[in-house]
Amino acid sequence: MNAAVAELHAKDMHAKSPRIALVGNPNCGKTALFNQLTGSRQKVANYAGVTVERKEGRLTGPSGRQYAVLDLPGAYSLNAASLDEAVTRDLIRGFYPGEPAPDLLVCVVDATNLRLHLRFVLELRAQGKPMLVALNMADAARRRGIAIDVEALQRELGIPVVETVAVQRGGADALVRQLEASVAMPHEALPGLPADADLHAEVRRLLSLAVSMPRRTAAIDDALDRWLLNPVVGLLVLGLVMFLIFQAVYAWATPLMDLIDAGTAWFGGAVSNAMPEGPLRSLLVDGIIAGTGGVIVFLPQILILFAFILALEESGYLPRAAFLLDRSMAAAGLSGRSFIPLLSSFACAVPGIMSTRSIQDPRDRIATILVAPLMTCSARLPVYALLIGAFIPARKVGLLGMNVFNLQGLVLFALYAAGVLSALAVAWLMKKWRRDKSEHALLLELPSYRIPHPRDLLIGLWERAMIFLKRVGGIILALTILLWFLLSFPGAPAGAAGPVIDYSFAGRIGHAMTAVFAPIGFNWQICIALIPGLAAREVVVSSLATVYALSVSDDAAAQALSPLISSGWSVATALSLLVWFIYAPGCISTLATIKRETGSWQKVVVATVYLFALAYAASFVTYQVAVAMGAG
Amino acid sequence: MSAGLLAQYAVIALAVVASAAVVMRKQFPNVTRRLRIAIALPLLRDGAPAWIKPLGRAIAPPARGAGKGCDGCDNCGPD
Repeated sequence: MNAAVAELHAKDMHAKSPRIALVGNPNCGKTALFNQLTGSRQKVANYAGVTVERKEGRLTGPSGRQYAVLDLPGAYSLNAASLDEAVTRDLIRGFYPGEPAPDLLVCVVDATNLRLHLRFVLELRAQGKPMLVALNMADAARRRGIAIDVEALQRELGIPVVETVAVQRGGADALVRQLEASVAMPHEALPGLPADADLHAEVRRLLSLAVSMPRRTAAIDDALDRWLLNPVVGLLVLGLVMFLIFQAVYAWATPLMDLIDAGTAWFGGAVSNAMPEGPLRSLLVDGIIAGTGGVIVFLPQILILFAFILALEESGYLPRAAFLLDRSMAAAGLSGRSFIPLLSSFACAVPGIMSTRSIQDPRDRIATILVAPLMTCSARLPVYALLIGAFIPARKVGLLGMNVFNLQGLVLFALYAAGVLSALAVAWLMKKWRRDKSEHALLLELPSYRIPHPRDLLIGLWERAMIFLKRVGGIILALTILLWFLLSFPGAPAGAAGPVIDYSFAGRIGHAMTAVFAPIGFNWQICIALIPGLAAREVVVSSLATVYALSVSDDAAAQALSPLISSGWSVATALSLLVWFIYAPGCISTLATIKRETGSWQKVVVATVYLFALAYAASFVTYQVAVAMGAG
Repeated sequence: MSAGLLAQYAVIALAVVASAAVVMRKQFPNVTRRLRIAIALPLLRDGAPAWIKPLGRAIAPPARGAGKGCDGCDNCGPD
């Protein structure tokens, strides 16, 4: 197909599928509406800055016509102040590379916060493009006693206005009907406001004509914020919430983990009994089942952690936490705006780094990107859980004779806290070195509190489970097979006296690496597990499971990694490895994301070198101190 | 070497090659893409035998959409 034909074809397709862009202020429900219209399941949460990239989906109208629906990052204005706002501005104006301008703009506004959102409607209307307004969260507005005269608003704006409830089944039906009508109608440019018009004054005029509200904010929000935003009580509540999350991770997950563990061991035994001895049985039992089974057992803990994170995201509490921590973050050289990207990094550093696009100041953005890998991503949880389970006794501890806290949960909390404190310390050091030491005030929109919907939580958990299982069945399985191969070949030479595994490719590499890692207490099995761990941290667990499964002759013992390492390693080695993983250099995906987001190889090198140096130094001190105290 | 053992090694070889491909695709998507293009181009050039062109098309990577940057972390959830 030559270029001209391709262009004609593209134009034809474009004519067939009008492009509709969902635009609006952050946290007005664009992505929820996008999911409702297209059947997608993009991430939604109750705070600003969740969407930082354009997303595209398909909608089929009642007439059978196809539409391309674009979900754009939230923007307060077309005068972009951050990278995500620039994406929205460029796409609306048709300057986004490789994308034609949308045929219709759907400006989504939060019906409970029209004072803020109508300003952007007016700015968009001045662009002269076909447009309609979706009055989202109309149900929440009614509950708060806010009465909106939709007819009057429509008349004054001169564009169609429809009510939507993006989180309700059928809540966008009126919008779809209006979309079809608007696309079919010839567009007439509206007379805009004069260039020097005061948009705020115009918003006030519109509100006085079309909206009546008993009070500007919800009474319940004000009551909760009096306590939760208090500099003392608020911080105590935040600490307590985080502490309870990690207690629950251990207290609630154990029965399910035991069940999965027993299932994996039974399956490994059954396969072992059913197959004749040979390399294929070894691959299946010692490689795939021992390796992936060793990781999958941590699924309940990951889901419990995410259940709390999802509930906090939905509730609207997280921006409050950002507000509370702004002072301490500013002291460390970050801003409250860094809070959400850093919090996203607890799931994975990749989306965390990407969400730094909402940080307006490039200096703060780079600092946040560089410390994001210090947040404990969910891939590190299996490593922590394995080592804590093997070396920290499962008993209750407490003060004044009240033993109510789970010791393993306390250690996990301490590891997460160590990651956060280290990130603040690194950011503080970076602040010391840079020339521009000015601080930037935090401007953050605090959304209304919302009770998380159980259905949304279940969908979120289902997606997290699928993401985890996809990793287990994808990259973790692939690396486990490769590692098994490297641990099994070549065989021992004739007359060899040592264990067969010592003569394998991986065995030789592992032994060579101990020259560097012996001072921090790592044996050759740990050294070899660190290499595939660069692709995904959980692979360290599956790699250790495979290494030990191939090292022992007893099939039953081979299926249980925890007792093998607790009897084979010293406490000093375990502590050193735990500390290593607080700082361990980012996985390859994280480094690639740093390169993509900063456009600089130098930043990638800086991140890799400082994280490795920090990990090595901290593990060295931990190991040597532990040995000196008799734990070696 | 018995036929059974040979078959086992063949299965293992396939699994190892497939695993290496998965790791390359997930961890080094851009390098893999360039590699696929480099292999596919000679197979698709004018004058190449007709029977080899379907192989070239199979090896060639799919067209990349605008704005989609993936680093293969598998953490983005459903698209």
